[in-house]
Amino acid sequence: MQTDDLIARLSASPAATPINPAQMTVLMAAAILIPLALFLGLFGTRHDLALAWTNPVVPFKTFLPLVVCLVSAALVLRLARPEAASGRMPLLYILPGGIALALWIGSFILRAPEARFAEVNPISLAECVGIILCLSIIPTIAALRVLRQGASTSPALSALLAGLMAASGAATGYSLFCTRDNPLFFVTWYGVAILFVTLMARHFGRRTLSW
Amino acid sequence: MQTEDPPQDPWAKLLLAANAGDGQAYARFLHAVTPVIRGIVRARGRSFPPDQHEDIVQDVLLGLHLKRHTWRPDHPVRPWVYAIARYKVIDAFRRRGTSIHLPIEDFTDDLEALAEPDPLSARDDKREVERLIGHLDPRSAEIVRAVELREEGQAEVGVRLQMTPANLRVTLHRAMKKLAAIAGKGE
Repeated sequence: MQTDDLIARLSASPAATPINPAQMTVLMAAAILIPLALFLGLFGTRHDLALAWTNPVVPFKTFLPLVVCLVSAALVLRLARPEAASGRMPLLYILPGGIALALWIGSFILRAPEARFAEVNPISLAECVGIILCLSIIPTIAALRVLRQGASTSPALSALLAGLMAASGAATGYSLFCTRDNPLFFVTWYGVAILFVTLMARHFGRRTLSW
Repeated sequence: MQTEDPPQDPWAKLLLAANAGDGQAYARFLHAVTPVIRGIVRARGRSFPPDQHEDIVQDVLLGLHLKRHTWRPDHPVRPWVYAIARYKVIDAFRRRGTSIHLPIEDFTDDLEALAEPDPLSARDDKREVERLIGHLDPRSAEIVRAVELREEGQAEVGVRLQMTPANLRVTLHRAMKKLAAIAGKGE
């Protein structure tokens, strides 16, 4: 086909509806919140949530993944425009990453050797990692579908961020149910679950976001 | 308070009108950007054979068309156009990385001798062909009908189905492979 013919055909197409970042945000947030609401509605939050939050370490279990989720959402929406670059925004990950590392190291130093990994057993790992993985599936798929409306020129990075956003959102909600407050446990195993979803999203979502 | 000024860039004015439904403005926009895109493709894609440059230009135009809704009128249009052009040129390099380009004219005689039977051409019966195509999903079936039966150009079909050429080629290839497998089982 000649280029002029192609232009003639393209210009005869109906006008496109402009991309709506607010609508994309709402859809991605709903895909994270609805499965979490169902999960917490069914199983409830931990019974001693208010008391647990009096321990200054415990709120970090919720706020760290929440910050990661919000930063990832902002970044992934920004990258949906082809001309956009991530800029300095990834520097925002330093804050939750640094706090998580400090909590892990501090906990490792302060705890007695036998208490460090006392909560690690097949059941606790299956529950923690398994629930975060399950709660991440729908938001990851939904985020990838929503992001197809955009035009990321870094599909692998956008897919990775979609997985990071979904898994950290899932971990935020799960943290209200989880009773294991040892940072050596939650930093490590929430981290493993989030990392796994992130890498899977990059692997499988890269092609979805290519155009 | 920030007010939204009308864009000063002629490309932006045209694309703004185009996104509001003005087909003529859209044609003028595409005609205006084409020489610039051609220049970008020529400069960045020097290692491509010249006969492939126009294919990449068309791929960029199709990319602009499919993603025209991602341009925001309060943002400059040129970085948006250049970003899409750059992405499509890189995409062309990526695709070439997994394939070797050889002029097909050099192999015409061999291809005629080696060509496998086409799963559709071997069947004269229209109903039989439709039965085979019926095993495909609706989108793949439409691509096979358009490209293989009605012999429409791939670019044309891509525009109609809002698919990129790469995506269309992959879907067509998979559909033909599936048809060949089904036809093989039936014999």
